[in-house]
Amino acid sequence: MSATLSLGKRALREALRQPDALFMTMFIPIFFLVVNTGQAAEIFPSDSTGFLEGQGYGAFQLPITLLLAASFGMAALFLVEEIEGGYFDKLRAMPIPRYSIVLGRLVAEAVKGVVLASIIVLLALPFGITIASGVVGFFLIILLSALWGVVYAGFMQLIALKTRSAAATNSGGLIFFPLLFLTPNFVPRELLTRPMEIAATLNPVTYLMEALRSLILTDLDWGAILPGFAVIAVLGALMLALNVRMIQTYD
Amino acid sequence: MEQRQPAVRAEQLVKHYEGKEGTVEAVRGVDLEVRAGEIFGFLGPNGAGKSTTVRMLTTLLSITGGRAEVAGIDIASEPDAARHRIGVALQEAGLDPRQTGRELLTLHGRLFGFDQAKAEARAQELLELVELGEAADRVIKGYSGGMQRRLDLAAALVHEPEVLFLDEPTTGLDPASRLTIWEEVRRINGRGTTVFLTTQYLEEADQLCDRLAIIDDGRIVREGSPAELKAELSERRGGEEVSLDDVFLDATGRTRDRAAGEVQEVGA
Repeated sequence: MSATLSLGKRALREALRQPDALFMTMFIPIFFLVVNTGQAAEIFPSDSTGFLEGQGYGAFQLPITLLLAASFGMAALFLVEEIEGGYFDKLRAMPIPRYSIVLGRLVAEAVKGVVLASIIVLLALPFGITIASGVVGFFLIILLSALWGVVYAGFMQLIALKTRSAAATNSGGLIFFPLLFLTPNFVPRELLTRPMEIAATLNPVTYLMEALRSLILTDLDWGAILPGFAVIAVLGALMLALNVRMIQTYD
Repeated sequence: MEQRQPAVRAEQLVKHYEGKEGTVEAVRGVDLEVRAGEIFGFLGPNGAGKSTTVRMLTTLLSITGGRAEVAGIDIASEPDAARHRIGVALQEAGLDPRQTGRELLTLHGRLFGFDQAKAEARAQELLELVELGEAADRVIKGYSGGMQRRLDLAAALVHEPEVLFLDEPTTGLDPASRLTIWEEVRRINGRGTTVFLTTQYLEEADQLCDRLAIIDDGRIVREGSPAELKAELSERRGGEEVSLDDVFLDATGRTRDRAAGEVQEVGA
């Protein structure tokens, strides 16, 4: 555990020394929030659009903003850089549990995720977005977003460990990225065309998005919230098992 | 007098890789014995199996066949115990470029189980040892190649290992930096650490090593002290004066033309 925490602290320091990467992680999702809201707010006025629950369209877009920000983690890229540069082998030659090398980076992603999600939600509040589920809901939003960041970074780390190539790890991100958009990110699921509705229903990210949206637009609705946490639990367990297995058998 | 156990012992060490064109036999039954306290050189042309052997001995690569002990510990059955006893500086300094030298060494101390105060004290001691005190709080990305190699050496010494593996520690360095690394290696060895050194530079092996082995095509083809190996070849050639280059070429069946680019004769 102490090796995981030491390596987590190192990864956080590393992130703080790349402020440009942190800035882009914040900037791009907020850019999309502003642009999407600007383009569609007139189509979905708050007073006549039932699914907005009395809020503006920005509140409906906030979940995809949070999920996007959480999906821009740099853990896998830093890991593959270390594999290519040789430091990864130096760590593997130490008497520490090998899983701590990958878990350390995920601990750092969790901390970053909490900070970034908090900043985004707090930035959204002055623009009329409210968290209908209150303080508990606020913390659940932050938790869910940060955990998604960890899960996403973990799957990206698997690509890094498997391919050992920065180019392949970057490309791998493009495979997962569409999952964020095969979701009801512009309108609720029931308003999607049939093929998109089926795709969204099969996509686990949908349940995450719906949980976040529920926390923003309505009071605590556990029927919508729990599926989001269930998705995190299942994908998180799978991601952790695969990461540990892959680094233990890394040759 | 008590006989010390060998620092490294390998018996019929084998490594196979499954490639696209079938099985590649990178190491084909290497037997080695490195005595405690010596500087042991491991030479060979590119692709001969040097780095693969080192990676197996440092627990970074699984062993296909045979067995090996480092500091008396079986590396396959007790890899963690072996990792406590070895220090590793692999080809091209593998460092975290975004940390400072001090942060990196302190982190390594923590990973070897030191408390924060001891890790910081050890980092300071090592920074002074490799003369990086003034650069200690700069990020490693800004270090020169020679500074990075010295820091890499220091990182391998944090836990005072019994056996230090150095894989081509001077490749790509300028002559002055190479001399500095040689001095460091001698100093480390002078404190009782066994050094297992792979190199492409024959003069480096001649200058530094008490004994050496030459590997070619995954097999050990010569083993002995530089003086013994030269004497043996000289005798076979009727007393002709020979260098370690001649020993290498004779052992690997290469000519000087063919060896060009594979093994370099570089003076510091």
